[in-house]
Amino acid sequence: MERTQRSPFTATVTALSLLFLFVPIAVVVLFSFHSTGGLSFPFRGFSLRWYEEVFSSPEFREASVNSLIVATATAVVTLLLGTLAAYGLSHSRSRLRAPLALLFFLPLTLPGLFIGLSLLVLFTEVQIDASLATVTIAHLVYVFPYFLLVSLAALNRLDVALEEAGADLGANSWLVFRKVTLPQVWPVLVGASSLAFALSFDEFIITFFVIGADSTLPMFIWSTLRRTVNPSINAISSLLLLVTLLLFVISFVLTFRRGRKRRGVIGGEELMEQALAGDAIGGRT
Amino acid sequence: MASVAEESQRPRAARRRGGGSIIPALPAAAGLVAFFLVPLLVFAVYSVLTAGLYSVSGPLTLDAYGEAIASRVNRTLAANSAVIGLATAAVTVAVALPIAYWLRRSARRLRIPVVFLIIASMFASYLVRIYAWRTVLGSNGLINDGLRRLGLIDEPLEFLIYSRFAVTVALVHIFLPYVVLVIYAAMAPLGAGLFEAARDLGASSRTLWRRLILPLMAAPAASAFLFVFILSASDYVTPQFLGGASGVTLGVQVQVNFRTLGNYPVAAATSFLMMAAFLMCYLLSALVLRALRLHDIRFVN
Repeated sequence: MERTQRSPFTATVTALSLLFLFVPIAVVVLFSFHSTGGLSFPFRGFSLRWYEEVFSSPEFREASVNSLIVATATAVVTLLLGTLAAYGLSHSRSRLRAPLALLFFLPLTLPGLFIGLSLLVLFTEVQIDASLATVTIAHLVYVFPYFLLVSLAALNRLDVALEEAGADLGANSWLVFRKVTLPQVWPVLVGASSLAFALSFDEFIITFFVIGADSTLPMFIWSTLRRTVNPSINAISSLLLLVTLLLFVISFVLTFRRGRKRRGVIGGEELMEQALAGDAIGGRT
Repeated sequence: MASVAEESQRPRAARRRGGGSIIPALPAAAGLVAFFLVPLLVFAVYSVLTAGLYSVSGPLTLDAYGEAIASRVNRTLAANSAVIGLATAAVTVAVALPIAYWLRRSARRLRIPVVFLIIASMFASYLVRIYAWRTVLGSNGLINDGLRRLGLIDEPLEFLIYSRFAVTVALVHIFLPYVVLVIYAAMAPLGAGLFEAARDLGASSRTLWRRLILPLMAAPAASAFLFVFILSASDYVTPQFLGGASGVTLGVQVQVNFRTLGNYPVAAATSFLMMAAFLMCYLLSALVLRALRLHDIRFVN
């Protein structure tokens, strides 16, 4: 058993940082329920008027629906292509592995400004009109490395013996994948896919360049922020927070918690540590 | 925790699963070539073309690079970007180190909820954070209002908002959770015995940090620093809302060149100059780590 140690300095830094991270967000959520338009204390009572205002706005509804469409498409396509890619990378010894891994993780290192501008230039050159489809393509490029980071860490930690046993018993690779691999990793894959959804739902930096006349929720917030000091922005912000945090909880439960309850399923904290430590890339080299 | 350490101890060859095909990875690879590499290539070509209004044409020229480098405005904005990027990266890493150490040393029942909260805050919307800081730092915001009520100030503190300070605060807010997780992940495999041994040998807190933790964390902290520096120095949204006139950055200028002025080659050339600068920072940090012999310190349990 590890001796835990009291360290007032590090504990204070941690506590203050948590305050720093949550107070501004808490203020936004609090004022979304404010009964007046005031954005400073004292707080004059609760009301849902800003939420009513937001929900009755057709622009808000359109932007939300668009965001849902784009994020769903992004999550589904990422789940399919990303699972295939993670499986290929983790189960092959091909010489292509290293260059492919480099390609897959490269978008992580490039600022969104450049990804967005490059895509805009490409779409202009090949005369693809900006639409929700171009936004989805951009989001796929952006979320792919994150999905891969999580799913690859899980696939790399699988017990090889189980798959080998399946193969020895005569199952072809598809059957092994479906009956042995998938049952062990699906919670992580779905969790990583909801991470993709959340990232897409909130993406602004790249979207700004590749979106046309349509709007998404972040685009709607951006234009509201530019126009006026409108207290309904608090309500919109809180709703956006609610959606992404909900997805986070789903993704957290699927990726992290489940492991402790069911043996054989990739487990919690270690997975996160491994994914973050970059072992996903180096795991099987 | 121990399992991670054991895992990496196991001979790599035994974990290797060969024989599978790489083909399943190819569709995604094709997608990334088409929508990531090819666009970058086209964008690079744009940087060596002649500018029209919202158009480009031949012949090939390096004029755009010359123009981007010669521009006085660009130099001021590059300095702004560098200051904001460096300040953000320095503060996030400096704050993340003690948090990661605290996480590493605290009991599971405390650690799990704190990790949960930190990851949760990562999911808070990017634009909402920028907006939140505008309400907190604004002239009628939480801080100014609070100080006025306490009678500490009469006039609002104007430097709080529409400045490089405000941009940096918001960017630290955005990147801190990532950096905490990266450094914590690097610290987690360090065995508890290591800290105990250092203590038992009489190391003070200062010695522990200087001789043990900082050298071991140098490489991951440097990558986290670079990651934050690159992303915050190139951010173009936060400065628009919180930077005011003094906090405009090169990223904003690239965006304005492209969307508002329609000068594609200069926007492209500025982008590639920024990428070149980032690459140089990366090489520089690798060199420094190597010179200090901190680049390949590995901890073996």
